[in-house]
Amino acid sequence: MIFLKRQLPLAITFVMGVAFALQYYIPHPVSEEAITKVSDWMKIISGFALVLGIASVFHVHAVKIRRQAPGWGYSGVLFAAIVVTMVVGFWSGGESKVDGGQTSFGWLYDYTMVPLQGTMFSILAFFIASAAYRAFRARSREASVLLAAAVVVMMGRVPLGQFLLPWTWDITQWLMNVLNSAVRRAILIGVSMGSVALSLKIILGKERSYLGGGKDQ
Amino acid sequence: MKDFARRMVAIDRRLIFLLIAGATLLPLLNPFGLPIKVSPEVQAVYEYIEDLPEGSVFLLSFDFDPSSKPELEPQAVALLRHAFRKNLRVIGMTHWITGTSLADGVVATVAAEMGKERGKDYVFLGWAPGGYALIISMGQDLYKAFPSDYSKTPTRGMPVLEGVRTLRDVNYMISLAAGGAGIEMWYVFGKDKYRFEMGGGSTGVIAPGLYPFLRSGQINGLIGGLQGAAEYETLIGRKGMAVAGMDAQSATHFVIIILVVLCNVFYFALRGDKGRPR
Amino acid sequence: MSEAMLPTEVVLGAWVATGLTLFIYSFLYKDNPLFKLGEHLYVGVSIGYSVVLVWYTVFKRLVWEELNRGNYEPLVGVVIGVLILTQFFPKVSWLSRIAFAFIVGFGSGVSIPRAVSSYILKQIEDTVNPLLTMGADGLSLGLDLASPQSGVNTIILLVGVVSVLFYFFFSVEHTGPGMVTARTGIYFLMIAFGAAFGYTVMSRMSLLIGRFRDLITFSGAAYGYATLVLLLITVLSLAGWELAVRLKGGEE
Repeated sequence: MIFLKRQLPLAITFVMGVAFALQYYIPHPVSEEAITKVSDWMKIISGFALVLGIASVFHVHAVKIRRQAPGWGYSGVLFAAIVVTMVVGFWSGGESKVDGGQTSFGWLYDYTMVPLQGTMFSILAFFIASAAYRAFRARSREASVLLAAAVVVMMGRVPLGQFLLPWTWDITQWLMNVLNSAVRRAILIGVSMGSVALSLKIILGKERSYLGGGKDQ
Repeated sequence: MKDFARRMVAIDRRLIFLLIAGATLLPLLNPFGLPIKVSPEVQAVYEYIEDLPEGSVFLLSFDFDPSSKPELEPQAVALLRHAFRKNLRVIGMTHWITGTSLADGVVATVAAEMGKERGKDYVFLGWAPGGYALIISMGQDLYKAFPSDYSKTPTRGMPVLEGVRTLRDVNYMISLAAGGAGIEMWYVFGKDKYRFEMGGGSTGVIAPGLYPFLRSGQINGLIGGLQGAAEYETLIGRKGMAVAGMDAQSATHFVIIILVVLCNVFYFALRGDKGRPR
Repeated sequence: MSEAMLPTEVVLGAWVATGLTLFIYSFLYKDNPLFKLGEHLYVGVSIGYSVVLVWYTVFKRLVWEELNRGNYEPLVGVVIGVLILTQFFPKVSWLSRIAFAFIVGFGSGVSIPRAVSSYILKQIEDTVNPLLTMGADGLSLGLDLASPQSGVNTIILLVGVVSVLFYFFFSVEHTGPGMVTARTGIYFLMIAFGAAFGYTVMSRMSLLIGRFRDLITFSGAAYGYATLVLLLITVLSLAGWELAVRLKGGEE
């Protein structure tokens, strides 16, 4: 049983990892067929993983309603929204448009999901302004450099800034293409080396956290 | 002065919110219209599409959802107008499940405006799960990745997909990205192996992180944020939502700059209180 | 949009969209029941939408239709997918490890060579560009700051990449020449963070502009002045709620 619970998953990880790392360098038809098939299966598996995520949200709110925890009424609203959307969606056959006309599912998407999702993220604009006013201070030389770069980029990326101070556009271009690129490149190289190392550790069985814990890990 | 500075530093943030709301609303109601300067990275995308022969295959991946609609929808509309004007064969798709209907709506609306026919001039494949696995699947066999399009029409035999079997048959690809599942993923799992040319469109938040790819030629061009969309609209000679929003963009940026300057003026005024830098 | 009669569902939709938008914006005053309602509706509708799409795309299109065509390969994906769901049943939850091993093994394997090629080799290749270029007048070091590929910018880029990489290398003490390199890296980082802040401001303001544009559209006569009416209702509701909270607080 220990073999099935511990050794087998590690062996699968090792075989899959090595096989598909090497596949990149082997253009043989059998190798290409293998990655085609497995990537098709992965699409279906990803669908089940989404179900897992959705079921977790269900569970959290179901517990809240059962215990009548503070704010459980809102969890009821959430469930109602899920059920209504699903009913409308299945009734419309999963289509937003049929023969050029909008379905109920499409209506629900355009007039509830789009405004809700759009507004939820746009609200950050207010908070970024408030945070900039309260916290964006030139406390040190480094902070001053950050501040100056931010102001130049904010000026250089809008028509009014380009009109009033044309040099801010040129400085912004140089800043983004050279200075910013250098930093982002360094971070990219560093993070990628770390992720390659982590992938190797996973394949070799040194990193097992993905197995979910437990004594027999 | 110090009392005034102290009061201003402690000001209710809701007044700042009202200021931002005003700076956004007023230019939208009374636009002043300033010229838009085009950057080389946006010009590069425009020129590549402009040089594509008629009938070339153009893949546009709508890797965003309604939360990034104001920035990326104008980019999508401008790119589609350009592609349809050049009579390219357009393939649309998305990696973001909650962006599917939005993407379909944009493609259908612009196609109808340009007199294009679904199945013949363009196809919207819709969403499929898998992320990087989907890209690999498309690179191996497009028809296995998407057996049917978003309107459930079988993809095999579609006139718009004639001669297109894998991603290697795509002439140019652009990912309009709002996050990780976008441009980088398309490059790493797509262009790196299947060798199609690609460009990028992104939100302002992730645009700085994409400049290394632009510099190294991994993407041939980059349309960054609403400003990038406005530049593209200027290039295609058809002003739209992006250009209309740039006045408000200018106003809000200036408000933020003034707030930051004031914050520092008050900070330095109060710093003198303690006699030492904080 | 012209001022001609709009379909009822469009006008109704405008009112619903405007109302929900204002519910969310009410958070700017303070956390309140209207915002909580909007927030939970957002999560609920998103989940419901995702469930419907997953059903039609994965189970119907990628599995059921393929099985009907006589192609049984998708069953492998289904079996592994079902193994993931055994997580919900403690007695057999260990079976999900097999599924995760498959997924993680494949993901790690495919990403290694691609990450090395795209993120490391290609980036290093562009960092070590030639400094001198052969032109009509012979070899020259490009001094044009406006051209990203010029010699002087290549030097700056190289200095930036090396100094930032060195800054994050904590296994070596940052003293002497190391301290100079690390401090150079810090200044490069500050400039990049400043640029990132500028772009983030640009992005967030664009989102706000998009929402306000819709609110302006829906304030027109064709939409029954939805924005104006609902703004008034929202403000009055918030005022009523605030009064009720203060009175309740006063009683206690």
